[in-house]
Amino acid sequence: MKQPKTLLLVVIALLPLILVSCLPTGASVSTGWAGTAFRDGTIYVGTKDGSVVAVNSSSHSQQWDYAFNAAIYTTPVVDGDLVYVGTYSGQLYALTTARGVERWVYPRTGSMGAVVGDPVIGNETVYVASSDGSVYALDTTYGDLKWKSESLADKLWTSPVIAGDTLYVSTFDGHIYALSVEIGELLDWSFKSDAGFASSPVVYEDTVFLGSFDRHLYAVTVGSNVSAWRFPREKPAGNWFWASPLVSNGTVYAGCLDGKLYAIEAKTGEELWEFDAGNAIVASPVLMNNLLVVTDESGTVHVFDLNTELEEQAVPLKSVSIGAQVKSSFCGQDGLVYIRGGDESIYVVDIDRGELSWTASLSIK
Amino acid sequence: MVEAWNLIIGNPVLNVLIASSHFLFGQFGLAIIALTVVVRLVTWPLTKRQLKSTKALQDMQPKMQELQKKYGKNQQKLQQEMMKLYKEAGVNPLGCLWPMLIQLPIWIALYQAIMSALATSPENLLNLAQRLYSWSIVNQAIPLNSHFLWLNLGGQGDLVLAIIVGGTMWVQQKMTQAPAVDPRQESTSRIMLLMMPLLFGFMTLMFPNGLGLYWAVSNIIGIVAQYFITGGWGYLKFRSPFQTTPAKGR
Repeated sequence: MKQPKTLLLVVIALLPLILVSCLPTGASVSTGWAGTAFRDGTIYVGTKDGSVVAVNSSSHSQQWDYAFNAAIYTTPVVDGDLVYVGTYSGQLYALTTARGVERWVYPRTGSMGAVVGDPVIGNETVYVASSDGSVYALDTTYGDLKWKSESLADKLWTSPVIAGDTLYVSTFDGHIYALSVEIGELLDWSFKSDAGFASSPVVYEDTVFLGSFDRHLYAVTVGSNVSAWRFPREKPAGNWFWASPLVSNGTVYAGCLDGKLYAIEAKTGEELWEFDAGNAIVASPVLMNNLLVVTDESGTVHVFDLNTELEEQAVPLKSVSIGAQVKSSFCGQDGLVYIRGGDESIYVVDIDRGELSWTASLSIK
Repeated sequence: MVEAWNLIIGNPVLNVLIASSHFLFGQFGLAIIALTVVVRLVTWPLTKRQLKSTKALQDMQPKMQELQKKYGKNQQKLQQEMMKLYKEAGVNPLGCLWPMLIQLPIWIALYQAIMSALATSPENLLNLAQRLYSWSIVNQAIPLNSHFLWLNLGGQGDLVLAIIVGGTMWVQQKMTQAPAVDPRQESTSRIMLLMMPLLFGFMTLMFPNGLGLYWAVSNIIGIVAQYFITGGWGYLKFRSPFQTTPAKGR
């Protein structure tokens, strides 16, 4: 009699723990969403198991892989003979493009805070934002620290952008900061919005474009304390502008998590056209010789011809389904688009033919 | 299953918490406390019933001691008589667990809300976008302030909070747990009295501090309610006859 009752009490007491562990919860494992980079016939891409893989675009075979054993959110950045990768465990690695050998890692021991935003390169320096709230400037050749900015926010998950001698950084608490690329000191101008910024900034003709958590896209003229415009003007969009917009020829192309692609006049914020993809647009659009390429989360690649009249631009020239979820940024060259699918495969889409060219598994061999 | 859960419980809790924090000086911690108060108010009828049972158990003590004297050597008979006594008084000795079990979905929803709302990982932040209502106050409140008092609400492993949760749970249980007359029951009661605070203390270390804050505040509300309804500290000061004279029980 005693044992069953005690057992019952133990089970009842443990029930919360068991249920909280078993039921679908808000917690998700950090697996990363590193996108693709392409250079000289090789595709560089991160994987869910915390590796970077180099895939030969001719033979479709893996040239090398490098295991970081940490989630990778940053898209590899190729510069010269090195590929730069930031990890969620808080290091920035420089690997050789030829064989994937580690050239340097920063910091050599410990962590600088999780790296989520892509690193950017300029002036022989790699700039990377960290979850410790600072931006780090590292020498591209040796990985030595050139400077570290003061803490700008609780955490920085966005990518900085270089425009001339200035580095612009957006924060979740709604700031845009301007830093000197040389020494990392804060410049006189900064901007504060009521809502936090979800996307990394893009700079075009002295204007910073970026998406906000309040479901608007903002245009902020450098030096001004008020935004030039915000889109949509009246009712907010259906969700966040998560991906950085693309700005070309005076038009802002912004994908939204509400599934729509908006074309907006950069100067005025007037909508030129919109296209409803039907599924969230998580990755930034890519421009290839006046063809605008957009992927939606369901894995459909939409191609828009920007050479046509405005009304025609809003209708995709081609739509190709790769049959796998797409959350990662992608790249393209010579009519081919390189996409990392959620099923740990790389998909190469020929946008001229409007068909899937080839695919390869990213499983480490 | 996941969609239904989010639609009915997960998303309402998440959005109400975020909206509340907008009105509570941008403090997500205050929103958690407000939610705790609301949950305790909603479950108040159940809590009141449980507290009344506790009071009835207190009043039954002389009768139970009589039964112990009368049937002390016949445990089976003692059990039967005690169950009869419980039944007559309309008391369920395990009734204290029901308010806790009813709060279980809230705990899970709160756990999800904390992990999502505080964007503890980039995936959580992206997933949050799909779960937010279009209310402007909700979207303007993002990102949330994860700091409250000394706590990082999205972090875990705060020993002080774990001690507070375990300690307040022990006090609350001690106040409500009638000392068993039967030595076997006494043993079970002792295990429960220690196990639950230890379990929740351990869970506080394992789960986000925001959930621990909910448990701590919930316990404190429970202690205050218990104090006023039963008119004092209940069994907190009570010493069981089996503790003073353990040899007699065996």
